[in-house]
Formats: sequence, C-alpha cells, structure tokens
Amino acid sequence: MKSLHKVLSALGAACAVFAASAHASADPIPETSIWSLPHDASAEGHRVDWLIKSTNVFVFLLFVVMCVWIGYAVFKHNKDHKAEYDHGDSKHHISIALGVSALIFFVVDGNLWFNSSIDVNSVFWNHGAADQKPNAVRIEVNAHQWAWDARYAGPDGKFNTPDDVVTLNDIRVPIGAPIVLQLASTDVIHNFYLPNFRIKQDAMPGMINRMWFQAKETGEFDIGCSQHCGTHHYKMKGRLTVLEPEAYKNWIAELSAQKVQAYNEKDKGANWGWEWKHSEDTSAPHGAGEPRKAASATEAEHDPKVLAQSRGGA
Amino acid sequence: MSDRVMTKADIEAAEHLQHAHVEPKDFLSRYVFSIDHKYIAKQFLWAGLLFLLFGGLLAMLIRWQWAFPSQPVPLVGKALFPNSGGAITPPAYSTIFTTHGLIMIFFAITPIMIGTFGNFCIPLMIGARDMAFPKLNMYSFWVFMVSQLLMIASFCVELGSAAAGWTTYPPLSTNVGTPGAGQSLVVLALFVTGISSIMGAINYITTVIRFRAPGMTWFRMPATVWGLWLTAILNALFVPVLGSAGLLLLFDRTFGTQFFVAGAAGGIGDPILFQHLFWIFGHPEVYILILPIWGFVIDFMSFFARKPAYWYKGSVYAMISVSVLSAVVYGHHMFVTGMSPLLGQAFMLLTLVISVPAEILFLNWLHTMWKGSIRLTVPMLFALGTVFVFGLGGLTGIYLATISTDLYLHDTMWVVGHFHLTMASAAFLGSFGALYFWFPKMYGRATNETLGKVHFWFSVIGVTAVFCGQLIAGYNGQQRRLFDPFQYTYIKHLRELNKYTSYFAFALGAGQLAFVVNFFHSLFAGKKAEKNPWDVGTLEWTDCESPPVYHNFDRVPIVLRGPHEYNNPEVLAKLGKDWVGQSEQLPGEDIGIDAIAAE
Repeated sequence: MKSLHKVLSALGAACAVFAASAHASADPIPETSIWSLPHDASAEGHRVDWLIKSTNVFVFLLFVVMCVWIGYAVFKHNKDHKAEYDHGDSKHHISIALGVSALIFFVVDGNLWFNSSIDVNSVFWNHGAADQKPNAVRIEVNAHQWAWDARYAGPDGKFNTPDDVVTLNDIRVPIGAPIVLQLASTDVIHNFYLPNFRIKQDAMPGMINRMWFQAKETGEFDIGCSQHCGTHHYKMKGRLTVLEPEAYKNWIAELSAQKVQAYNEKDKGANWGWEWKHSEDTSAPHGAGEPRKAASATEAEHDPKVLAQSRGGA
Repeated sequence: MSDRVMTKADIEAAEHLQHAHVEPKDFLSRYVFSIDHKYIAKQFLWAGLLFLLFGGLLAMLIRWQWAFPSQPVPLVGKALFPNSGGAITPPAYSTIFTTHGLIMIFFAITPIMIGTFGNFCIPLMIGARDMAFPKLNMYSFWVFMVSQLLMIASFCVELGSAAAGWTTYPPLSTNVGTPGAGQSLVVLALFVTGISSIMGAINYITTVIRFRAPGMTWFRMPATVWGLWLTAILNALFVPVLGSAGLLLLFDRTFGTQFFVAGAAGGIGDPILFQHLFWIFGHPEVYILILPIWGFVIDFMSFFARKPAYWYKGSVYAMISVSVLSAVVYGHHMFVTGMSPLLGQAFMLLTLVISVPAEILFLNWLHTMWKGSIRLTVPMLFALGTVFVFGLGGLTGIYLATISTDLYLHDTMWVVGHFHLTMASAAFLGSFGALYFWFPKMYGRATNETLGKVHFWFSVIGVTAVFCGQLIAGYNGQQRRLFDPFQYTYIKHLRELNKYTSYFAFALGAGQLAFVVNFFHSLFAGKKAEKNPWDVGTLEWTDCESPPVYHNFDRVPIVLRGPHEYNNPEVLAKLGKDWVGQSEQLPGEDIGIDAIAAE
C-alpha cells in the first residue's frame, strides 16, 4: 500500500510538473536574417558582439583595400605598363612596410587582445566571482552520448542528496542571476554551447570544467553540442528556459519535492552528482582563474568512479 | 651580401659531390622504383591527384547532405548506401567528413605540394643533379604508397573507415567511441605517412644545405625553395609528435593501455594530452601546408609582374618568423577545453603576433604587383587567386585567435570556412598554379591556356562562394560536423544558405573537369614546350631542357645573381630583354672566382 501511495503521489507531481512545463514551453524564436549574429539573450554577450562587429569593420576595410589594390594593379599596371625596377629593400621602403604592419597589428589585433583580455579575466572565465554572488544558481551538467543531464542542489544547497533536482535536456534558470555550471562527461568529449549566450565549454570525461552566464531576458533557447561526439552528435540538443525568478522558484520547489519522494538511494545510476568544486582563490591578480588542470588531476581520480554510474542517470 | 664565399675548390667540390647518375635502362628502375627526383615527383603527383579526386567526391557527399538532408544521393547513392535507399546515414556521414579531412590533408595536398614540387623544384632550382639521398627519396614514396593502401583498406572493413573527425580526439577515437578496425587502420596510415614525410623532409633539408650550386647563396635561392625548405624543417620537427600521439592511441585501441581513456570506460588517462600532442603538430601543419604556397606566390608575383620581388629578404624573414612562431601558438585550438586564463592569454597574444609577418608578406606581394607589367598567365591568375583567398582566410582567422570571440565561434562553420580558405583553397589554388607553371618543364609539353583559365575561374569563384557560405553559417552559430544542422531552431533559417553553398560546391567540383581534360590532353597531345616559355631566370628554365635530362645539368651551373632580376636597366641595355638568368653572364661581367669571392 505504501508503495502504491508513493507511485500515485509521484504521478501527481509529474502531472503538475508536466502542466507547468507545458505552460512554460514555447519553441525558441527562429532567426530570420543570415547576416546577423543570433539573438543575444545574455547579460554579457554584448562584449563578444561588440568585439566581433568592431573587428568586422577593420577586416572589411583591409579586405577592400586589398581588392582595390589587386584590381587596380591588374588593370592599370598590365603588360602595356613599363615595370619599375625596384627591389623595395631601401630603408625607406622597409620602414613603411614595418610601420604599416605595426599599425594594423596595434589597431586591429590590439583591440582584440586588449578587450578580450579584460572580458575573459573579468567576466567569461571569472567563474569564482560569479559563484560567490549570493543569488548564483549552481548546476552540475553531465554529458553523455547523446544527451545532457542537469542537476540542481535543491533546497539544502548540497549536491548528491535526495532533494536534488535532476533533468534531462531541460535546464531552467532564473533571469538576472549568475548561472554557474560545472561540466563533466561520461564517455567522450562534448561541448556545451549556448549560441544565444555567446559561450561554450568542453565537457570532458575525467575532469570538471566550469562556465557561467547570466540571462537578460526570459524565453526558450537551444543548447547545442559543438564537439563531434559520435554518430548522433547532431541530435544532442537541449533546451534552456529562462524564467522569471518567481516562476523558477516554484518550478524548482515542485520538482525537488517530487524528487525527494522518488529518491532511491540504491539507484546509483541516478545519483551521479559530485560535491561542488569551489574555486580556491578569488583574490588572485587575474580574477578567479583557477589552476584548472592541477585541480582536475586530483578530481580525475575519484570523479570517473562517480560518473561511471551516470549513463542513463536521469 | 654573399653568405657563402665561392672558390675554385667549391666549384670542383660541387662537380664531385654531384656526380651524374647514369640513367637506368631497365623498366623497373626507370618507371617503378626510380631514384630520379623528377620521376618521384610525378609519382607523388599522380598519387596526390587521385586522392584529391577521392577527397573531393567525399566533399560533394557532405555538401549534398547539408543541402538535402537524408535525401537519396543521385547517381551513386543506391550503390554506396544500399541499406538506406541511397541516403547518407549518420554513421556514414561521420566517416565521410572524417576521411575527407584526412585524405585532403595527408593524401592529396601533402603529396602534391610537398611530394611533387619539393621533389621536382628543389634540385632543379638550386642547381643540383638529384636529391642528397636518392634512395631514401624512393623509399619515401613507397612508404607513402603503403599508407595509401592502409587508408583504402580502412574503407573495406566492418564498420567502415575512421569516424572520429580528422582531429581524432580520444576518447571518441578509442574503442569507447569507434570500435571498428577502420579507425585503427587510419591511425596506422597516418603513422606510416608520417614516416614518409620525415624521410622526405630529411632529404629536402640536407639537399638545400649541401647541394646548392656554387654561388647559390641563401638569399639567391628562389622563394619557392625557401618555402619548401622551411616546410621540410617543420615536418621533421613536428610530424614525430603526431607519430607519438598516433602510436599511443594505437596502444589504447589495440593493447588496452589507457593513455587517453577516462570517464565511465575506466582509466585515468588524459584526453587533453592527446590534444596537446595533436596540436603541437597540428598548428605547424597548417603552415607546413602554406609555406610552399607563399614561396610560389612570392616568385610568381615577381615573374609575372616582371619586377623584382619587393623586399625579398623581408618576405624570407617573415616566413622564418612564421615557422618559429608556428610551434608556440597551438593553444588557440584548445581555448574551450578548460584552459587556465593566463595560458589562454599567452596563446592569444602569440597567435595574434603571427599576423605581423603575414602582413609583411601581403604588403610585399601587393607592392611587387604595383607598378609592374603584369602578365595574366594561368599561373599568375592562380597566384592572384591564392592571395585573394588567403587574404580572406587570414582576416577571418583573427576572430578565432581571440578568446572571447572564439568562445562563440569555436567549432562552428566559421572555423571550417576559415581554414578551408587558408590551408585548403590557398594550398589548392597555389598548387594548381605551380602545376600549370612547371608542367612544361615536367612533361615537356605546354598546357592549354583557355582551359586553364576556365579551370581558374571555376575554382576561384567556387572556393570563395563555398567557404564564404560556410563563414556566414558559422557567423550565425551553426556548429561544424552536424549530420542535419536544421535540428536547431536558431539555424533553421540557414537551409537556403546551405543549399546555395552546395550548388557552388557542385560547380566547383564540375569545373575541375577543365583541369582533367587539360591535363590529359596536354600530357599526350600538348604543344611541345619551349625551354623557357615564361622568360624567367631560375635555373630549371635557363639551364635545363624541357623536360630536363636525367642528370639535370651537364655542368653544375655557377650562380651569379638572385632569382628576381626583371626589368633591370643594365640588363635591358646590354641584352635587350627584361629578364636575365641566375647563371647568365652579362657582356663584360666578370664571373672570375676572385670577383665572386670578393662579393
């Protein structure tokens, strides 16, 4: 009787969640123009877009100069034109060549390097700072051929406990909060890719990678795999749903309650999570860049054993 | 100027060192196991062209799939994919794009560009009678042949050929992801072709150092030889790294070691170690595939603009700097593996620094054209096309060198478009330009100019349209290697783009027929070539017949000047022509040993 009750209540919870998800789900809005970057839904995506677009201007100018130069030379300095005997190795010529190269390097490459360094250190790879924000949402993602398992810590804030929320190809996050992900893989290398958030990160077997992002609007977005991971790589698609904070809270609470009831300690396949990896030192000069490799070398020794159980874990 | 003082003894030593081989009379040692560099060059050419056709047809299948996902392939579909009614299946697709990449890089471009022109041009252009190690040269080809057979065999085993992508990342490339024997055979084929490359590289390096004709100083060498020589050095240094990665991977696949295996399959190996090894080789590899082309372009710009190559030394120094830098930039391929930000920034800076020598090369090409007297011959058209596509490819590469923009563009079609413009299109157009240029010397027959121009326009418009189409797809975020890209909502609108890109690809493929017809027609029925149809001054045109005699030079030439003396006023006044041979004596010019020594 007890077990029947458990099944029934689980079914009830599932129905509620299904209703909630049906309410929330609308397909991502398709793009229309092939000449633009996909819609930017990220609070920090404008950094990437600005850098790409400013570089587009430089690249376009250089390309036009090259084409005009070649075109002019081919048509005007043709076989009827008398060639000038010039080895171009005078000091004057060399300083012009070096000067132009240096100018292009400092303007175009300099713009890229300078801005990218700031963006990477202060934002995109500054996982520690994002993780320490009080409203940060932590999610563990385990990739396997060919799906994404996601795990939320639930009300107790601890991973791998009965109140964890575990989903398959379905990640929901609140708007306006930093979303911090730790990524791992069961089998081969996958790559967690959010085109509308201008970010991607490999999910590696035997180590844990980090990434973070923050949504600036609600809606539905594609999660893609961008590392060839076998025959059905193209089908490894997930759904990212950005909700209002209140809706997110309700969703996670509902799902967590359901998971507590459905929790089975012996089902090792479902309990694939790991203890959250905290970043060691956020006061380092370059923000919170963790010595990733050093950390993962020790992680690799115990994580695979946990991850080994995760196939079909959701 | 002269970094090698020539004495009478030098000239005698050169004659002694380069004793003329007697031309063999028996069929086998003449036409099969030949040790003649010119003949081995032709063997590499045929092998490379056949695999270029193979790799090209695989590309057509990929383009078909992207234009018309899962629809039956016309003509060949039923025969190739009988179980799916003629449509490409996901596993077949993985094999097709994996082997397309590997075949094009290792079995088409490498043998054509390095095997053919390295073998043919180096001895002739430096005034040598053969390679330093003619037998090693022959072994290099036959070892290459073995690797080709392994590659072909991989298609005939159960589960088909390799399917883990050309980059062969483990654990996908271990038994975890690709359990078939085909993947092992392909990794073995890469290992064996690496041995062939190293053999060739040692030969090229030694030949250039030891066998330059008297007076052929380093900066009198044609840029072609510089490019091929630097490529050989990179090959000798970095192909062994690929070999080591391949060997460890083979151990993982066959003997159950776990160098690269991690995750649920057990093992505490490190998949990232493979990526380090692969890209320590892989990034120099893209320069291996472009340095000879840069050399051709520097020379052709000068030859056909009838002007000295602009700041020739600068171009050579730029090529040397790129070769050195090529070893320390590879990390940009691994920005999304979880790299430390400090390391990432170092790799970003080093990668961007490569644009400086590249800009110098570009400026020198453009300046060489400027105020020239440009002859739009077929080789010159291909050289101009190379500059154009390499310009596009180079400019689109800086987005990938930069971490934050790469976080978005990494592993998208942007990458595919970018590297196909540089190491595929530029290498392909440059190699065809070189083939049209040296064909008369190789086979003693001229090629048809009209067909050559048809081939050029189909090729240059084709590669530009196809790979710009891919760049646009990548800009929209389309990942590479998707069997059916239109699963994703944000790229559903790219269906038409992918379709039109494919139409251009089919036109590009069809346009190659002009080359096939031209090649065979010229081979058997072409007009007999003159000794020096292009009026250029390098040794293979001035001191050799078309085709050259077996031992190349009756007398080892004495080199008096650089390769780019066009419209020199003194030559115009004394000889009444706009060019002068590297070994050609001007009236009243003292070529006495002492004079050269004094220089």
